[in-house]
Amino acid sequence: MPNVKISGNSAIAFDGTAPTLLTALEQHKLQVNFHCRQGYCGACRCKLLQGEVQYLNEPLAFVRKGEFLPCCSIPLTDIEIEIP
Amino acid sequence: MAYTTFNRQINDQLKEPMFFGNPVNISRYDQQKYGIFEKLIEKQLSFFWRPEEVDVSKDRIDYQNLPEHEKHIFISNLKYQTLLDSVQGRSPNVAFLPIVSLPELETWIETWAFSETIHSRSYTHIVRNISAEPHKVFDDIMLNEKILQRAEDVTRYYDALIDGVNLYQRCGEGNHTINGESQNISLYELKRRLYLCVMSVNVLEAIRFYVSFACSFAFAERELMEGNAKIIRLIARDEALHLTGTQHMLNIMAAGDDDPQMAQIAKECEEEAYAIFRKAAEQEKDWAEFLFKDGSMIGLNKDILCQYVEYITNSRMQAIGLKPIFSTTQNPIPWINTWLVSDNVQVAPQEAEISSYLVGQIDNEVDGGDFGDFDL
Ligand code: FES
Ligand SMILES: [Fe+2]
Ligand SMILES: [Fe+2]
Repeated sequence: MPNVKISGNSAIAFDGTAPTLLTALEQHKLQVNFHCRQGYCGACRCKLLQGEVQYLNEPLAFVRKGEFLPCCSIPLTDIEIEIP
Repeated sequence: MAYTTFNRQINDQLKEPMFFGNPVNISRYDQQKYGIFEKLIEKQLSFFWRPEEVDVSKDRIDYQNLPEHEKHIFISNLKYQTLLDSVQGRSPNVAFLPIVSLPELETWIETWAFSETIHSRSYTHIVRNISAEPHKVFDDIMLNEKILQRAEDVTRYYDALIDGVNLYQRCGEGNHTINGESQNISLYELKRRLYLCVMSVNVLEAIRFYVSFACSFAFAERELMEGNAKIIRLIARDEALHLTGTQHMLNIMAAGDDDPQMAQIAKECEEEAYAIFRKAAEQEKDWAEFLFKDGSMIGLNKDILCQYVEYITNSRMQAIGLKPIFSTTQNPIPWINTWLVSDNVQVAPQEAEISSYLVGQIDNEVDGGDFGDFDL
């Protein structure tokens, strides 16, 4: 069960009850911006400070180095992220 | 340098830059330099919708019951969007097709512009329904000072690029005397105009529509103008994709692997890029002020809308590697996100509000009594 540490916040466990990282963050009442929830708009962009994520579907939105899209990914390892 | 619709030069398309290489000859997608554009095409095609499929008839009653200041908000937004999509339905084709060098990007541009024409047609669908005199709404766009002010900034970069490309493709680089007027053009200058043009289109798709989207959804939150909101959701879904398209173009340009000169230009134009964003944000805030001049609407006022403009401007800037220019970090209207989710926007034929399906349904609801007078 990978741990998701949110910078400046406590960590949450990705326990399999949420299909994506975005849903997991929302379940813990963390506000993340989103539009499409399908990886093509880029609105949910967050910083990936440490660890690795896996995309469920290859995202169409531009993702720059050090960023990831929580709406279409799950953590592969423990990760540390920053929500803008 | 002249444009040709079928370039006879045998070239390796994988080695062409996005723009200003050889004109495209074979439209082939078996090999792609940038697969992302092919994926955007597929996505855009999967989004296909027709305005006539959305029943907007209930909006007519809603509209008649709106107080005057809310009618003003609604109709002004519609006019502004009409302007924006008029420009977007043609300009990517006219400006970018003569200079594009990759088949997948060429087809993306065409697919993108085509989807904008659907948006334009949807405004007529909406206006015809709420007004007995639709021509008055459209006629006013060309006279409306507030809209024309925006048109200037929306079209300027397109026009400068088109003008330069015309000269270049006719006469090549250098000094030319055209109709007694001396004009100079260089490939470098054209690339600069291209970069700024894509930047300004990015701003158009990323910021300029959103004030209007927010108002449409604020009406719909009150269960008003819901047919319109349904159409706006379909438009917003397309716009998110267009935005991703221009972001990819800008990021590929700035990275420089595609064309090293473009990376240099991106750096040189950084200040101008900031200025384009800043000006657009200011104009959209002005627009919010104009919309609410006679009164706000429930759930939305000028200040909230201005904060929202600042918020999305920041996030759009960060997406292309620029620094945010406003201090706003929180979305002041988080409820808008649920309207922008694409999951449940599908125009599915089984939905009751789809009028074209209802036409078929009438046939199914005929019962035996209806044939009483029939003799076969
Ligand atoms: S919400 Fe659109 S990419 Fe994540
Ligand atoms: Fe559009
Ligand atoms: Fe668009």
